[in-house]
Amino acid sequence: MKKENGEFRLPPLDIIQYRLENGLRVVLNADNSVPVVAVAVYYDVGSRNEREGRTGFAHLFEHMMFQGSENVKKAEHFQYISKAGGTMNGTTSSERTNYFESLPANQLPLALWLESDRMRSLAVTEENLNNQRNAVQEEKRLNYDNQPYGEVFNLLNSMIYKNFANSHSTIGSMADLDDATVEDVREFFRIYYAPNNAVLVISGAFEAEEAKQLVEKYFGSIPGQPEPEKIDVTEPPEVSQNYQEYEDKLAPFPAFLMGWKVPGRGTEEFRALSLTGKLLFDGDSSRLYQKLVKGEESVVQLFGFTDERRGPSGMAIGAIPKPGVDLSRIRNIIMEEIKDLAENGPTSGEMFKLHNQLINDEIRARQSSMSRAQLIAEFALFDGEPTLINSELDELLKITPDKIKTVTGEFLDTENRALLDIVTAGEN
Amino acid sequence: MNDEFRKTAPTPLDAVPFNISQPFETRLENGLKIVVFEEKRLPLVSFRLGFPTGDINDPADHTGVNSAMAAMLNEGTKNRSSRQIADEIERLGAGISASSTSDNTILSASSLSLYSSEVLKLLADITLNPNFPENELKIYKQNTIENLKYQRSQPGFLAHEQISRIIYGDHPYSKTTPTAEDIENLTPQILADFHAKLFVPGNAKLIIVGDFDRDRLLKEVENEFGDWESGPIAQFELPQIPERSATTLTIVDRPGSAQSNIILSNPAIDRNHPDYFPLLVMNQVLGAGASARLFMNLREDKGYTYGAYSAIDARRRGGAFEATAEVRTQVTGDSLKEFFYELNRIREEKVPPQELKDAQNFLTGVFPIRAETQEGLTNLITSQQLFDLPDDYLQTYRERVNAITVDDIFRVAGKYIKPDRIAIVIVGDAEEVLTQVAEFSNQIEIFDTTGRPLDPASYGSPDPVENAEVSGVWKLEVDAQGQKLPIKIILNQDGDKIFGEMESMLGTGEISNGKIKGNKFSAIAVSSFQGQEMEIRISGKIEGDEIKGAIETGLPDFPPLPFSGKKGDE
Repeated sequence: MKKENGEFRLPPLDIIQYRLENGLRVVLNADNSVPVVAVAVYYDVGSRNEREGRTGFAHLFEHMMFQGSENVKKAEHFQYISKAGGTMNGTTSSERTNYFESLPANQLPLALWLESDRMRSLAVTEENLNNQRNAVQEEKRLNYDNQPYGEVFNLLNSMIYKNFANSHSTIGSMADLDDATVEDVREFFRIYYAPNNAVLVISGAFEAEEAKQLVEKYFGSIPGQPEPEKIDVTEPPEVSQNYQEYEDKLAPFPAFLMGWKVPGRGTEEFRALSLTGKLLFDGDSSRLYQKLVKGEESVVQLFGFTDERRGPSGMAIGAIPKPGVDLSRIRNIIMEEIKDLAENGPTSGEMFKLHNQLINDEIRARQSSMSRAQLIAEFALFDGEPTLINSELDELLKITPDKIKTVTGEFLDTENRALLDIVTAGEN
Repeated sequence: MNDEFRKTAPTPLDAVPFNISQPFETRLENGLKIVVFEEKRLPLVSFRLGFPTGDINDPADHTGVNSAMAAMLNEGTKNRSSRQIADEIERLGAGISASSTSDNTILSASSLSLYSSEVLKLLADITLNPNFPENELKIYKQNTIENLKYQRSQPGFLAHEQISRIIYGDHPYSKTTPTAEDIENLTPQILADFHAKLFVPGNAKLIIVGDFDRDRLLKEVENEFGDWESGPIAQFELPQIPERSATTLTIVDRPGSAQSNIILSNPAIDRNHPDYFPLLVMNQVLGAGASARLFMNLREDKGYTYGAYSAIDARRRGGAFEATAEVRTQVTGDSLKEFFYELNRIREEKVPPQELKDAQNFLTGVFPIRAETQEGLTNLITSQQLFDLPDDYLQTYRERVNAITVDDIFRVAGKYIKPDRIAIVIVGDAEEVLTQVAEFSNQIEIFDTTGRPLDPASYGSPDPVENAEVSGVWKLEVDAQGQKLPIKIILNQDGDKIFGEMESMLGTGEISNGKIKGNKFSAIAVSSFQGQEMEIRISGKIEGDEIKGAIETGLPDFPPLPFSGKKGDE
């Protein structure tokens, strides 16, 4: 790392990108420092692609991807990876469905074999569908319906976003899952799990030429499909609902969530707002932590996050106050801190801390090949340009205190926000 | 079209060597050992200041002092308040913390290389000048006592508390946590005295990993730690770990528990024992992961549990072999049977070469993944240093794993797994579990969750009583977290055996394997669920035409659901 006029420069990651004839985008990031290789396959499908009456499909499909394919039997995927000394998983968000594995470097062919076999020949059968539908419904019961505060983040999203593509949950509705037919699922697979709708990233220790040959061997003959229909994720500026009270039977304490609608990933506004978020709720020295958790000791738990999407995105702050504490007073303190940032901007001490944290986070994220593969896949899929990983830190460091002040005023210090009041059973 | 090459898993490419170079070692005049590992990949630096003394070195009258002392190090020094330490470290985007285990006490700090000097200063300050402020100690006590209460609600904690007591006897490894009273009794002076006794440079190793100018950094270390006054290194005489002569059974009673937490354990080896590697590989075959025998048997084949594992817990002054699972209450006895089957099998039959190869591939494969981040690599070096493992330990780890043979595994399995004198601990519903497991030992003890002994004779009463009449159609209402779900069961009775059908939202299931004793009944209904045959357990009491009880699915985080109902006409 060189320090030039107060700016930090990280050596750029080595990125090779190309497309196979079938449209599969391939990104190679060779780094031979440790003999580990990570493979990430990101499909451009998430809950944002789901229509009304068909919610939960993207996530249901993630489960289907572990049910076997032409040459890999049900549940064998995991056994193959484990016996080779590797780790793996898959996840679904509004924006994408991803699958990834980390392996000893010499096992690259295994990962490509496993990923290509399910991309080309997934076993979409009635039996697998029924199994996995049950598994997902069970997951919904356990993680959402039967968890204290399990539904509140989905509810808040439905209050922030108006467009159905954005406002519905990834887990989906029980009724829609019940309605899913094998034909629906096959069609979903054909459209969204096509090579031209995916990004394949290999990061870690490998020879580029050898990797290219292996990728061609395993993925080259999988047929491309017509491009999926473009979707509309646009939003009006105003939130969809300003206030809702929700009775959570399982919640031990009353709580609240506040949500705002903000510009999407890759915009200067989003970057600046993510820094506002760090200043407000990230770490023990953040403003709200010091005020509410340490100073007043009035809050049991404080949390905040940004819901990063390609289109209009969200930001939320919530708290579980100590029993007996007036919730509206806590909210006022949060809004006062936001107002202070909107009127005075961050201090120079805060800017110094932010810059150090950004640099530190970026460097640490580059340590493991899995973490690099995932970041690169996001830039490739969401922004169409994997090399953006090499300039993102600079973009963040360029954000001025004045910009933070302006966006905080425009997007957060406003009545255009959603408030979800969570009350406990029988409280009202 | 199925290309021929796709039909089987591809052969791996040539193995890539993983070379970790040797760290540079030096020592300050006061005795502080310094281990420096330069890794220029990224502009980061990690520090560990480790002491090979831990919670087992608490004085007998001050249990809990070491972990409290460690936790309090960054809560205030002669130069900085708790808040100042947090602000200074976060301002640099860095982190600093301290923690302890039974064997070691370790201070950790990491930052951008740019701030290595500032972070080293802070590390030295919390190491040398902590002042254990009264108000911060008060907060520590409150939080720790709350946490002790919470732990007692966790069956996994209760199981470990018992197994540690049984395996380690008078040895301090037997203490898993201090008591609330121990914590209350701590004072700043007690912490300060203990700190002065153990925090001497001859008892410490400073490990530094990352991208830095070595000479400059060593000079800074000399500046910060050179004045650290040397002192005698405390020596500790600890009691022997007891020999075992019989299989014992200990139950911690949690009435109504849907699951039984099982641990089987016997003493094994310390961390520096020459049989460490053969046992490591043996354990990989037997139970270290989701491809090992215990998992494949108890979960994949039998479906008794979400996971069954074994471990070699090798510490500085001794250790144990352990096998664990959380199983559904009604299959507790069957699960023990399978545990013993697998423990005996690996002792009696040589492991097939392919299974050995898979285990070696896993261990050698994950090793570089663990070393990929600087934190991971630093932890590996720290543990090599603190346990005084051979200098080439990390460099030869993969060779050592690959050198293990089928015969080595046979030898160590026979030597260190002792089914005829193993300790069994079960945390679960004693009434339900005792009759299932009594055959495994004739030394049985039962405790409640606070550790109070209970009388085994009062469980699983063998008195013959007249059985209630259960034949007929029963309409039940299940209370699923406030939601009422209707279930119909049709029961037939043959002596003390029950069979029949169950109709619910999940469909129709067959009821088999049921029994009635007096007015208590239990039965298992098998439904297809998540694509697997899933067993739902129904148990309860019958009073005339009324029925009351609970159903269990055995799914994790899914508590037993109470139901009540009546005999119907149809």
